[in-house]
Amino acid sequence: MQAIYRVAVATFHEAWRRRFLNAILVFAVLIIGSSWTLTYLQPGAELKLLIDIGLGSIRFFGMLIAVFLGVRLISDEIEKRTIHTILTKPVTRAQFLLGKFFGSLATVLSNIALMGIAFYVVFAYKGSKFMAQGSSEASASGTPGISTDFIYANIAKAIGLSFVEMTVLTAVSVMASTLFSWIIAAIFSFFVYFVGQAADFFKSLANPARGTGFGGQLVFNFIYGIIPHFEVFDMREAIIKGTYVGWDTLGMHVGLGLVYATLIMLVAFLAFMNREV
Amino acid sequence: MKKQRGLQVIGWLVVVMLVVGLQPLSNAVNYRRLVLGMKSPTPLTKMVDFDPTAVTGVIMGAALGGFQGVAASMLWMKMEELWDSGKGTWLECLNVMRTVTLLDPHWLEPWRITGWHLAYNLYVETKDPKLQAIYLAKGLDALKEGISWNPNTHELYLELAWTYFDRVRDYENATKWFRATLQFPHPEFVERMIAHAYERLPDLDRALDWYDYCLKRNPEDGTAKGATTTIRLRYLPAWRLMQAGKYDEAIRAIDRYLEVEPNGTIALHVKAHIYEQAGREREALDVWRLAARLSALDHQARRKANELAAKLGVTLLPSEQAPSYFLEQMEQPRRLEVPRRRER
Repeated sequence: MQAIYRVAVATFHEAWRRRFLNAILVFAVLIIGSSWTLTYLQPGAELKLLIDIGLGSIRFFGMLIAVFLGVRLISDEIEKRTIHTILTKPVTRAQFLLGKFFGSLATVLSNIALMGIAFYVVFAYKGSKFMAQGSSEASASGTPGISTDFIYANIAKAIGLSFVEMTVLTAVSVMASTLFSWIIAAIFSFFVYFVGQAADFFKSLANPARGTGFGGQLVFNFIYGIIPHFEVFDMREAIIKGTYVGWDTLGMHVGLGLVYATLIMLVAFLAFMNREV
Repeated sequence: MKKQRGLQVIGWLVVVMLVVGLQPLSNAVNYRRLVLGMKSPTPLTKMVDFDPTAVTGVIMGAALGGFQGVAASMLWMKMEELWDSGKGTWLECLNVMRTVTLLDPHWLEPWRITGWHLAYNLYVETKDPKLQAIYLAKGLDALKEGISWNPNTHELYLELAWTYFDRVRDYENATKWFRATLQFPHPEFVERMIAHAYERLPDLDRALDWYDYCLKRNPEDGTAKGATTTIRLRYLPAWRLMQAGKYDEAIRAIDRYLEVEPNGTIALHVKAHIYEQAGREREALDVWRLAARLSALDHQARRKANELAAKLGVTLLPSEQAPSYFLEQMEQPRRLEVPRRRER
């Protein structure tokens, strides 16, 4: 346990020293902050825009951080041969891998937390204005208007789910890092992430009503089964609709994310066990 | 070495078990997201039929990694800029709007604005009636496509009904789509709009039923009160006589009102309807023609005149004709002909 903690702390400190990660974070905060200047659009559109830009930026830049951090964790150590020093100490490969993973997770969490705070500040100022404006215009026109129920709680939950999503993505990039060079690992991680966003599409393709043959159904169902369903961590629609997302529902999402991460890290461990360093 | 290989085998077995065990949890999460409305599914028919627009949207969504909402919002801001600054033509605005609907088909605003833009703005931009008909029909198509993506909310049903009512003046379709709006929480005025549409159709019994409903709900509803009084005083006597089969008396009753207001649209529609019920199609045609000549926007009269003229083999004056291609366009998918750039 102590070994995992030490590797994690070292990874965390090292990650914060990486300039490109700091640059991504600064850029993300600037983009989120720029929504402060949003001007008047149609009622309802501004609120959607604010949420889209805020949460979209958190997910987008979170993804960049998770991938570029994760893919260099192992490969850098191998290329610089520092891994030999670490593994000759009483640190097993499993401890090393888990320490690296948790260290990068802590980095991703701190980055998402900073972006989330920036978004919350902007939202507390602009969002409340848009909501007041939207509800007065909706009542004047007699239309139901935009639902703003549970909006603050839902945004916090959405930021939380972004972190779970990035946990899975970090696991994917760590796994890729144990298998490939960092550039191939980055391409692989992005590919998995993008395909995972459209996982439902494979289920639709497997539908026999489309005339898909047995072989096609097997292939598409297999892809649907193994690909992490990243789109389930997107809560923007619930926020816009004002849907109450209960703790049990949130728990199921978190549970799914944790199972994905465990599974992927297990594959990473099995791959890393066999790897000559 | 043997021990390590054994561990490997156990490890991979656990991986397979986790993958299998993951599926029920994943299905449960997906099910709950659908039930709670946390995600709008791509309608299955679009996937089964391999609807190119839907599939393109899904693929673009994947290419953008779930950031299609952000991309759509950004494009929408661009559209607003083109619109407000006057830098872009309205056709350019239309292209951006359609891209937004492709990227984020569950966002209602772009569908609403696209339909309105086609049926109203672009319609008046051109003087070519053929092009006008295409724009109008494409506006209606856009709204229907939006409904196919978002069937569980009132906004697009209402927008489509309003376009039929106000722009196309096709009151049969207007009532149909206004009534579809009632399935969902909707603004108060929808019931009154249904009554208005029935009044113009004309189906006075149904119009009165809906006005009565509005008055029961809100006895202070001035519009419903006024409309009920007008119907009862002006048109109902003739309507009741028609229902009793006393067609000549019915015609005389409505003529008494037409002497006061010869251009009354609803009265002319009622009169033509009475003639139709009496089986006097030639006279019905004359009344529909008169209504068509009196108002260029009375598409209801033009359509009716067109139908009857075709049946009776009568040639209509150009000012009375409903553009026949308009009717055709309403039934068939259409294409906007893009003028080819001239070779130099």
